[in-house]
Amino acid sequence: MQDGDQKYGLDRGGGDGYDPNGDGELQRQFVEQWRTNAYGCFSSGHKFCREVCPVMQVTRNENHTPTAFHANIVAMEQGLVDVADVADDYVHCTQCGACELRCPNTLFTGDFYRHRTRTVDVVKAMRALMVDTGNEREGWKVWNERLAERHNEPVLGDVPVSQEHVADWADGLDIPIGGETILFVDCEAAFYRTSYTRAFAQLLQKAGVEFGLMREQWCCGGPAAEMGYVELARKHADHNVADWRAVGAKRIIAPDPHDYIAFTEDYPRYYGDDYEFEIVLGVELINDLVKQGRIRLTEPVERVVTYHDPCRLNKRKGVHAAPRELLRAVPGIEFKDVDHVTQWSYCSGGGGGLPVEKPEITEEISRRRVARAQQLEVDALISACPWSERPLSQAGASADEPLEVLDLFELVARAAGIEVGGHAQGPVQEARP
Amino acid sequence: MSVAFKSGIDDAVVEELRAIIGDDGRVLPNMSSRVNRTRVPAPFPVHRWGEYMPDVVILPRTAEEVSEVVGLANRLRIPVVPRAGGTGLSDGAVALRGGILVDVKLMNLIHEIDLVDRTVTVGPGINMLKLNEELKRHGVFYPDDPASYPCSLVGGRIGTGGWSLIGGRFGHTRENVVSLQVVLPTGEIVRIGEGGGRKLRKSSTGFNLKQLFTGHQGTLGICTEATLELAPRPEVEFAAFFAFEDYRTAWETTGDLTRSGLATLAGVVLFDEWKIAYLRRDDEAYIPQPASVKAVVAVAMYGTRAEVEPASKVVMKLGRGRGGRYLGDEISAGDWASRHDRYATPLHGRSKDGQAVMMSWHCEDAALNYSVLPQVREEWHAIVAGFREEYGIFDDWGMFAYTNGPYKPWGDYLVEIDVGIWEQRLNDENWDAWVRCKRDISLVTLKYGGSITACHGATREGDAELVPAEMGSSWEVVKRIKRALDPNNIMNPGKQSLDQAYEDGGVA
Repeated sequence: MQDGDQKYGLDRGGGDGYDPNGDGELQRQFVEQWRTNAYGCFSSGHKFCREVCPVMQVTRNENHTPTAFHANIVAMEQGLVDVADVADDYVHCTQCGACELRCPNTLFTGDFYRHRTRTVDVVKAMRALMVDTGNEREGWKVWNERLAERHNEPVLGDVPVSQEHVADWADGLDIPIGGETILFVDCEAAFYRTSYTRAFAQLLQKAGVEFGLMREQWCCGGPAAEMGYVELARKHADHNVADWRAVGAKRIIAPDPHDYIAFTEDYPRYYGDDYEFEIVLGVELINDLVKQGRIRLTEPVERVVTYHDPCRLNKRKGVHAAPRELLRAVPGIEFKDVDHVTQWSYCSGGGGGLPVEKPEITEEISRRRVARAQQLEVDALISACPWSERPLSQAGASADEPLEVLDLFELVARAAGIEVGGHAQGPVQEARP
Repeated sequence: MSVAFKSGIDDAVVEELRAIIGDDGRVLPNMSSRVNRTRVPAPFPVHRWGEYMPDVVILPRTAEEVSEVVGLANRLRIPVVPRAGGTGLSDGAVALRGGILVDVKLMNLIHEIDLVDRTVTVGPGINMLKLNEELKRHGVFYPDDPASYPCSLVGGRIGTGGWSLIGGRFGHTRENVVSLQVVLPTGEIVRIGEGGGRKLRKSSTGFNLKQLFTGHQGTLGICTEATLELAPRPEVEFAAFFAFEDYRTAWETTGDLTRSGLATLAGVVLFDEWKIAYLRRDDEAYIPQPASVKAVVAVAMYGTRAEVEPASKVVMKLGRGRGGRYLGDEISAGDWASRHDRYATPLHGRSKDGQAVMMSWHCEDAALNYSVLPQVREEWHAIVAGFREEYGIFDDWGMFAYTNGPYKPWGDYLVEIDVGIWEQRLNDENWDAWVRCKRDISLVTLKYGGSITACHGATREGDAELVPAEMGSSWEVVKRIKRALDPNNIMNPGKQSLDQAYEDGGVA
C-alpha cells in the first residue's frame, strides 16, 4: 500500500520551488504524495501514539500529536487549512519515532500489508514545504544560514564553529587523515561534547582499529533535512560522499545515532544504488570489540546507574541490546534498567530541531526524564547520544538533587583505563587557538 | 484560511476568554486548533468537516477557569463542548453547533494518592495507563480498562459512563468514581459524591447524584476533578480462549462461565463467525486455526494466586464442557495482552469486490440481555449485508458480546457489531445511508428490550433521535433535569435529543 520507492521530499516539477503567490501547487503535490499514508492514520483514529509522544506529554495540545500531523493533510485535501495554518503544529516534534512504533496499523497488521505509518517523514516533508512556501521558522532559518556559511552546524549557544576547528577535539591523538575506514564526528560531538568523541576514538585506538578522519568534514546534513532544508542537506551529503571517495573510504564509523540515521536513511534515498559505503554504528562496534577481548575493561567504576535509550537508537533503529551489554560489561557498575519498550515514551527533547525553536519544551522533556531516573535512586544517568546529553546534563545539574549525566563511551573508556580529556559541556573559550 | 464562527463568538468574546484564561496560548481560535478537535475515531463525514468545528478552543488548567468560561458562555448563550481524549466512538466530544470547546488535557495532575482510604484524586485530563504507571510502585491500580486504555482520558470516561473490559470483577467507570467535582452549566463548582462524602462508597443522604453525573455525555456539566477507586494490584492474571464449531455452543458456554459464581471472573467475550473471518484477514493468531472454528470464547480472571489458580481449573472445565477447544497458552495470554490494540484496523477493510481499502470503524455498543443474543446477531448481520450490497462502501467486521454488568458477569452484554466504512467515498447520499443503517441496527436493539448504547453515548444521528423512545415514561424526568440544570441549553447542545426539553411544551 505504501510506495516504498517514493523519492524523499517534494517533486518540484522543474520550478524553483518558491511559492510566493500561494497558488497552492506545491501544497497540492505534497497532499498528493502523502494522502494515502495520512489516511491510514485518519481512518484509524485510535491515537495510541499520543501518550508516548514526548512533546504531547508536555504541551497536552492535540495539535502537537502525530494524529494531527496526518489529519492536517486530509484537512488540506478538503480545503480547510493551508500550510500557514498548520506550520506551527509541525515544529512540535523531535522525530523520535515513538508514534510509529505505537501505531496499531504498524504493530498488528503492518507486516502483512507492508504498511508503516510514516510520521517522521511526514514531519520532514511538511517542514520542507514550509521552507518552500515561505513559512519557515525564524530560528531554523538562522541556524541553516549559518550552516550554509560554515558547513558545520552552529551548535546551540555561542560555541565557535568553523572548518578550521572541526578536528580540534582530536588534539594529541595522532589520528591520520583518510584511509579505508573513516570516523565521522557529529558537530555537537566535535565542538561541544568533545569528551564523547575523544573517548570513542581512544577506545578504537586501544583496540588497534585503523581509522582516519576526513580531509574536510562537513555536517552530515541530517539536522538540515529534519528542519526542512532539503537542498542544503543534500549539498552537505554530496560533499561528504565526495570526500570519502577521494580518500578511498570503504566503511564509515558513525558513533552518533543522528549521523547513523543520516547515513543509513537519508543518504541511500539520495543516491540509491550509487552508495557503496558500509556504515558502522559506534556502540555496536565498541560492544563487539569488548566481547572479542580487544578492549579490556579492568578498572572498576563504582556507580549506580540507569540507561537512557536514545530515540534514534532504540525507537528509530531498534538498537537497545548492544548498549545494555556494553554497560553490563563495565566492572563495578550497578545497573538499574528500564526496558526499552517503556522507554518508547521517554526522550530528551534534543532532536528534530526542537531545542532551536522550542527550548522550553526540550528543557521540560529532559527535566521529566531526569526525574524518572531519580525515582530509581541512581547516582548517574547514562546516555549514548551527544544530542541528548546536553539537555539531560542541564536538567541533571539544575534538579533539586543534582544527577550526573554520563556518556556510555566515556564510561567505558574510564573502565578501560583511558584518560579521556576534552570537555563534556562546551569548550573553555580561552583554551581555543 | 478561516471558517466563520457558528455561535455568538466574536473578537470581543475571544478577548474575554483571554482575560479569564490568560494570554499564554491557551485560547485558540485558529483554524488548526479547531480542525483538530472536530472528530473522534467514529466514522466521520469528511466532506462536511467544517460543520462540526468548534469556534474557539480553550485549554484550562483549573476548575475556576472552567467555571468562569462556562459562566460567560451561559450569559452569552454560547454552546460549550467538553472534550478530554476525543477518543470516544460517538460524538460526545464533537461540537455540533460551534461554540467554545473546553479541552481538559492540561488538567492531568495527580493531586493525591491516599493509600489508607484507597483513593486517588486526579484531574480529568489524565490517561489511565499513565496513571497506573505512577500507581504501580504503590501496589495499587485504577481498574478502568477500555479498549482505548492507552489513549482515553479519565474525564471522557466519566462523561460517557465508560465500560471496562474487566468490569465484571472491578466495576466499570461509574463504579470506580468515588466522588467528583463538576462545573455546572451555570458556572457553579459543585462536589458530587455519595451523600456529602468525598471518599465514601455508600450513603443514603440526599439523592444519589453520582449516577447522574457519570454518563451524561457532557450535557450536564464538566468534570474538573475526580476521586477514584484504588484496587490492589492483582497478583495473577489468567486468560483462556476456547474455539467452537458453532455460535450456539459458544453462546451456551459463555452462559455457563458467567453463571459460575467465580468472584475473580473479570470478563467473558464471545466472538462470532464474522469476527473470526475478519481476524483471519491477516492475523497470525487466527490463520493457523482450522476453518471449522466459527466462534471463540475468551475468559479473563484477576486476583490473588490463592483464588485464581483453583478457579482457573473450573474455567478450563466449563470452557471445554460443551466441546470447546482450548487454543493454548500462547494465544490466550497473547491475545488478551493485545486486547487494546487488535480489534479494529483500517487496513482490514474490504470493498465489495474484495479489494483491501482503508476503512474507518463503527462500533455499535448496545446493551442486551443474554437470551436475545443469537436472534439479534442474525438481524444485525442481515441489515449490514443489505447496505453493503446496495452501497458498496460498508463492510461487516463481525460481532463481539462482552459481559456488561458491574461486578456481576451474568445477565447482560455489551453487544458490538463492527462496521467498516470507506470514508473516502462518503458523500451526502452515502452518509445518509450510513445513518439509516445505524438507526436500523438500533431499532433491532429496542425491539429486543435493549439499550442502544452501553457506553459510547447516544450523541450522533442514527441513535440520538431514538433516545426518547428508549427512555419511554422516564423521558419527561430527563428533560426536566436537563432544563433545571442547564436553563439556556448551552452545555453540549444537540446531543441525545435533549433539545426537546426546550421546545414549547417540551417539559410537561
